[in-house]
Amino acid sequence: MLCNTAVVTELGFKSNNPDVALSERKVLSYRDALHRTMREGLRDQDAVVIMGQGVDDHKGIFGSTLGLAEEFGRDRVMDLPLAEEGMTGVAIGAALNGLYPIQTHIRADFSLLAMNQIINLAAKYKYMFGGRFEVPMLIRMIVGRSWGQGAQHSQSLQSLFAHIPGLKVVMPSSSQAILDTYPKVIAEYRGPVISFEHRLMYDLNFHLDPLPNPDRDPFESYTVRQGADVTIVATSIMVLEAMRAAEHLSTVSGIQCEVIDLHCVSNPTWDVVMQSVEKTGRLVVADTSWREYGVCAEVCRVVAERNPACLKNPVVSLAMQPAPCPTAKSLEDLFYPDLRQFVHAVASIVIGDEKHGIALPDMQSMVDVYKRFKGPF
Amino acid sequence: MEKSVTNIFKQLFYQALRIRLVEEHIIDLYPSDVIQSPVHLSIGQEAVAVGACQTLTSQDLLFSTYRSHAFYLAKGGNLKEMFAELYGKVTGCARGKAGSMHLAAPDVGFMGASAVVASTIPHAVGAALAAKRLKKNQIIVGVFGDGATEEGVYHESLNFAALHRLPVIFLCENNGLAVHSSRQARQNFEIIEHAGSYGLKTFHISEGYDFVKVADAMSEVIRHVRTTHTPAFVEVQTFRYKEHVGPGDDFSCGYRNISEFHNWKDLDPLMQYPNLVESFRPRIVEEIEEAIQFAKGSAFPSIEELLCDVV
Repeated sequence: MLCNTAVVTELGFKSNNPDVALSERKVLSYRDALHRTMREGLRDQDAVVIMGQGVDDHKGIFGSTLGLAEEFGRDRVMDLPLAEEGMTGVAIGAALNGLYPIQTHIRADFSLLAMNQIINLAAKYKYMFGGRFEVPMLIRMIVGRSWGQGAQHSQSLQSLFAHIPGLKVVMPSSSQAILDTYPKVIAEYRGPVISFEHRLMYDLNFHLDPLPNPDRDPFESYTVRQGADVTIVATSIMVLEAMRAAEHLSTVSGIQCEVIDLHCVSNPTWDVVMQSVEKTGRLVVADTSWREYGVCAEVCRVVAERNPACLKNPVVSLAMQPAPCPTAKSLEDLFYPDLRQFVHAVASIVIGDEKHGIALPDMQSMVDVYKRFKGPF
Repeated sequence: MEKSVTNIFKQLFYQALRIRLVEEHIIDLYPSDVIQSPVHLSIGQEAVAVGACQTLTSQDLLFSTYRSHAFYLAKGGNLKEMFAELYGKVTGCARGKAGSMHLAAPDVGFMGASAVVASTIPHAVGAALAAKRLKKNQIIVGVFGDGATEEGVYHESLNFAALHRLPVIFLCENNGLAVHSSRQARQNFEIIEHAGSYGLKTFHISEGYDFVKVADAMSEVIRHVRTTHTPAFVEVQTFRYKEHVGPGDDFSCGYRNISEFHNWKDLDPLMQYPNLVESFRPRIVEEIEEAIQFAKGSAFPSIEELLCDVV
């Protein structure tokens, strides 16, 4: 029953036409969705340039920019020196003078070298100068996991950036999410956007929505599964984990989970979250980063401020352990919450007792479920 | 007895004097607390801005620093909007959200001024990348002080501009000080030699008080950039008369010697041509007072402004 199949369903975006059988839907990998949006961005807008270390090499940012330098030229798909702050500043200056830069960080960790430009400059340019400047740009950051990525190749830094007014932060959790978010952001949005792409999703195939909504706001949260018993608010690959937990619980216990993909963590659609929590009275938050001062804390803050009385039980947060990420697989498997813990947490909050009596899935490493890539990076 | 002067001298003198008198009015106003913003005055350094902007067009872009009153005005920024901004009024160039440190006038190519040292240098490079790719025929200027040359982002910017042959001028205003620290206490390299090692054409102007010399040199620099489509580096020696931030003098504080100031002011045209100063002063003062009245008469930003233009 677990979602350990070659194709993940159309997670991430609520279908306009759920009656279309899965077998009739098109399938697209996360990597190919990225490649398609990058290519179409370059093709459709002369102003678009892709800038990053290795964007033009034979690996092409895990395939997402492969061949684009050959097709569009190395002045539009530019390899960069190892100079994260300076090159982010170059992207800002280029954006101020008419280009649309798409910048890549092959690990989100490396963007920490560019924090001055992202936070002190890109996030401030519009407001600090009274609306006289715009900095339209997309910064793609890849979150690593497994195969010993360790302390400096695994950080999921969304809450750092979402904390800063002036930045939009998204975490696309499916191929459809990429297709519905990036083209709109690139073509229409005039400010800096940071997107976190989870490395483990690159190799996954997703069913596409047969009738995607062309008017979808790229900066909104949405419900990916309906359910009456508990609300799970999740980000990125934790949306997939939430769906696996929901399917298991539905099968073994009849518990129905409502799953919300927060998607735009900087500006979530709080009404979607609140309406669900007010309906179910129970909240689980599952994030790809640490619990402390992060997405988990923020979702709890908003519920606590808006309507704490709607909660029947204390909230549960599922997140990384409060330590740097270890490399040994035995420790890494403990560092991230696994499906068994996920199901146990949801069952406990619904039943109101840790001795809920609901069957848990077999112990299985999450990376073994998702991983089709086997190192080294 | 003042020497006879050329028309270009008079024209640049007028602009430099205008900047100085604007800042002297700021000094006079400052104790009254109508300007509630840190002010980093350019007094002593006006000739660099005036000379450098002389040969730029309004299409050419200039990125600057928190010490930017001189460059804002020399590039053609609106004086009324500047005073209104210092007063925190909604008619200011940034609607009251910038104060002194973040002046901007994009309509005349004066791009944003940042209060983090060296942080706009890569923006000039990026704007030059866009100018080249979009065939805009612009020159882009990045202005910074000697302190900025210690920042990593400065080196990253020079390397990238030289590597991609971008139409950008790096303009270093070397006043020898980073707040209160002398260059000798901070740097184990020569700025111009080091810049040249990136493959940039370098220019050095030691007479930073002489706006005509700065303008002449900048004409050559700009010609170089326009004809070769490659970047250039210009270092101008200059002198900051006032404290790092604020309206006062600080020669008594011990970190520098007042004799340096005396040497410099003996060369400063704005102090050596009192008759010319007096002949221009009434017209300039009238303009400044009009700008101050405009600022005084303008409204403070209303509550709707607080969350406007965030994203």
